[in-house]
Amino acid sequence: MNTNLKISNVTKIYPGCVANDNVSLEFNSGKIYALLGENGAGKSTLVKILSGVIIPDEGKIYLNENNLKLNSPLDAKKNDIGMVFQHFNLFETLSVFENLIIDSDEQREGLREKIDSIMSKYNFSIDLDIPVLNLSAGQKQKVEIIRCLIRSPKVLIMDEPTSVLTEQETSELFLSLKKFSEEGILIIYITHKLKEVMELCDEVAVMRRGKLVSVSEIKNENIETLANKMVGQNLKNIKKKKEKNSSDKLINITNLNFISEDPFETNLSDINFSVNRGECLGIAGISGNGQSELFQVLSGEIISDKNSIEFNKNYIGDLNPQERREYLMAFSPEDRLEQAAIPQMAIFENVALNNYKSSNFFNNGLINENKIKEHSKKIISDFNVNTDNIELKSQFLSGGNLQKLIIGRELITSPDLLICFNPTWGLDVGAINYIHETLIKINEQNKSIILISTDTDELLKLSDKISVIHKGKLSKIMDADEVTSEKLGILMGGGN
Amino acid sequence: MIIDINFVGLIIASIMASAVPLILASCGELITERSGVLNLGVEGMMIIGAISGFALMTVTGSLIIAVFGAMLAGVLISTIFAFLTQTLITNHVATGLALTIFGIGISAMIGKNFVGIPGKEFPVLFESLKDTIPLLSPILFGHSVVFYFAFALPFTTSYFLKKTKIGLIVRAVGDSPESASNQGINVKLVRYACILYGGAMCGLAGAYLSMIYTPQWIENMTGGRGWIALALVVFSTWNPIKILIGAMIFGGLTIIQFHMQAIGVRIPVQFLTALPYIVTIIVLVVISRDSRKIRLSTPSSLGKSFYKDN
Repeated sequence: MNTNLKISNVTKIYPGCVANDNVSLEFNSGKIYALLGENGAGKSTLVKILSGVIIPDEGKIYLNENNLKLNSPLDAKKNDIGMVFQHFNLFETLSVFENLIIDSDEQREGLREKIDSIMSKYNFSIDLDIPVLNLSAGQKQKVEIIRCLIRSPKVLIMDEPTSVLTEQETSELFLSLKKFSEEGILIIYITHKLKEVMELCDEVAVMRRGKLVSVSEIKNENIETLANKMVGQNLKNIKKKKEKNSSDKLINITNLNFISEDPFETNLSDINFSVNRGECLGIAGISGNGQSELFQVLSGEIISDKNSIEFNKNYIGDLNPQERREYLMAFSPEDRLEQAAIPQMAIFENVALNNYKSSNFFNNGLINENKIKEHSKKIISDFNVNTDNIELKSQFLSGGNLQKLIIGRELITSPDLLICFNPTWGLDVGAINYIHETLIKINEQNKSIILISTDTDELLKLSDKISVIHKGKLSKIMDADEVTSEKLGILMGGGN
Repeated sequence: MIIDINFVGLIIASIMASAVPLILASCGELITERSGVLNLGVEGMMIIGAISGFALMTVTGSLIIAVFGAMLAGVLISTIFAFLTQTLITNHVATGLALTIFGIGISAMIGKNFVGIPGKEFPVLFESLKDTIPLLSPILFGHSVVFYFAFALPFTTSYFLKKTKIGLIVRAVGDSPESASNQGINVKLVRYACILYGGAMCGLAGAYLSMIYTPQWIENMTGGRGWIALALVVFSTWNPIKILIGAMIFGGLTIIQFHMQAIGVRIPVQFLTALPYIVTIIVLVVISRDSRKIRLSTPSSLGKSFYKDN
C-alpha cells in the first residue's frame, strides 16, 4: 500500500527566531528522502512537528489525505509515524526488553517473539536482557529502530542517525534503511552530511534558515551543488599546501603506557611517536580504540611517567594540563560541553578558565573582569564566533560557534602545539571549513598539531603524517601522501 | 543463666515493631525517589500523620477513620510539595526541607490540646495463636494489621517495580523524564502519583507511632525517624529488600542499646545511642558496594526538575 505524507504550510516561531517558515513538502513511500540543512536550519524542528514533540503555530499534516492532529508523541505513534531521535530516547538503566515493552500494548511473550522475528529479519543481534547503558551507540540505535518497527510504521524518520556511528555501523544502517524502504516504509532521513545523502537517498529537500530552499532528485545533484544550496554561498575548496617539513622535533613520546582501572576504558601500550615543528600528525581509528585515553595522557588529564613525554626538550609527562599550558601546549577536547567548556557559565568566564600565567586575568585573587572581557571580544572577532554578547551562557552557542570559541581560546596564547580530538564532530559544513582553514594556518605558522579524529577525510586533508590507533596500539607512522582511505580502513579494523 | 526462648521471641518482635515506621516511610519515599523526585519532607509528613491519626481517633473514636485520615493527611501535605515542585518547578531540596519544618510546626500547634490524653488500644490479629509455637509465636502472631502490612510492603514494592508495567513506567520516568515524555508518558502525572503515594505511606508511618507503637501524642514524637528513613532509601541503593534489612538492624540496635543501658553496661550512653545510626549505614554501604548495581538502581534524574518546553 502506498503512503503519502504531506506537510502543508507549516510555520513555527520561537522568540527571536523563525524555526520553520511556511514549509510545504510531500513524500511518497518507496523512496528515501533526505532533509538536508546546516545546524539550526530548522530540519529538526520540522521532524519534531511530524513526531508530535513540537506543536506548530500554523500549518497542517496529512497522511494519506487524512489531516493529522499531532499534539503529543503518542498521537504520532498512533498514526504510524515512527521517529529515531538524534539524542537517543532510551532509559539507560532499564534492560533492552523493558525499554521496548514500556510503550507497547502487547503481552511479554508475544512481544518477545515479535522482537526476535524483527531481529532475525534484519540481522540485528542484541541481548534483550542487559541494561541499555552496556550497549554501543550503534546497538542503542538499533533498539530505537526496533521500537519503531514493533508498531509496523508507515513512516520512519531518522534524525541525524550517523553522528554517533562508526563507518561499519553506518553502512549496516544504510542496508537496513534500504530494506525498510523496499518493504514500503516511507523514510525521511535528516542529515547535514552530503556524502550520505548521495549514497542513500532518492530525493533531497534542502532547508536553510527555516525556509525550504529546494526539492530535487539526487541524480540531478552532486556534492558541490548540494553544499552550495545548503550554505547559500559558494564554498571555498580548501587544500593544504604540503611543504617540506623541518626536522626540528617538538614533541617526542617514548614508551608511553597507560593501564586503566576502569574496565570500560582502553589500555594504551607502548606508544612511540614524534612530531616536528610545523607538522600535523593525524591519528585515525574507530572510536573507542584508546583515542580518548591518548588525548587525556597527552593533555595531562592523566599523568604518566615523567620521561615518556618530551616537549621542547623538557620532560613533562608528570605535569597537569595547567602546567603543560605554561610550556605552550594547547588542547581542544572532544566533548565541547562536558570537557572544553562549562555550559552554564558565560562566554567570557569560559575564556578565563584557561588562565595561563601571563594572562593577568586575576590580580591578587580578584577577577580582572575588564581584562577578560576585552580578551574575549578579541577571540570572538578574530575567530568569527557568531555572537556579540560575551555574557551569553556558552550552552546557547551552536556547536560550530562553541568550537570556534574553544579553538580561539586555545590559539590566542599562540601555543607551539595544539592537540585536538574530533574538532569538527557534529558541525555543519561552514563551520567545518572554518576550523580546517584555521588548523592549516597553524601549520603555516610553523606550529604543530596532533589531530585525533574518527573522520578519515578530515585526516587525509589536514595531516602530514598519519598513524592508526587500534586497541590502544599505534600503527607505524606513514606519510599522508602515501596513504589512501582504504588502507586506513584496513588498519582501523585491525588488519595489516 | 537460662534464657526463656519465648523471651527471645518477644525481643525480636519488639525489634520488628520498632522497624515498622521506618519500613513504611522508606518504601513510600523509595517510590517517590524512583520517579526522580527527592522529597526531604519525610519527617514532616510522618509527624502530620502522627497528629492527624491521634486527633481523629480521639475526636471520632473510630480507628479506621483515624488510620485512613492519617494517610489522607500525608497525601494532602505531599500535594503541597507536588504542586510546588512539579507545577511551579521549585527546587526539590528546599521545598522538602520547608515541608518538614512546616509539618513539625503545625503538628505541635494542633497537638497542644491532645497532650496527656491516653490513646486507645489497637486490635491485634491472631492473638489466640500466641502460645502455640515456642519462639516463633510471639514473632508471627498478635500484631496489628499495620505491622503485617509493613512487612509485606518491601516485597510488594519490589514486585511492583520489577514486574508490573506501572512500576516500569515509574523507573523509566526516574531514569530519563525527557525520554519518557517523548515516548508519550505523562511525566508530571506519574511524579504527582508517586509523591502522593509517598505521602500516604509516611502518614501511615506516623499514625503507627502515635496510635499503636506508643499510643499517645508527644510533641516531635517522630524523633528523627523520617531522616533515618531517608538515609535508608539512599544507602539501600533504592532496593526495598535492603530497606527491610536496614530497618531491622536499626530497630534491633535501638532496642538492644536500651537493654544494655538498663543492664548498666559500661559504655558511654552517647555512644550507645549513636550506635544504631552508625552501624546501619556501615552495613548498608557494605552490602551495596557493587558500583555497577548502584548505577543501575539509582534514579538518574533524582532531584532534577523537569519541564517540557514547547
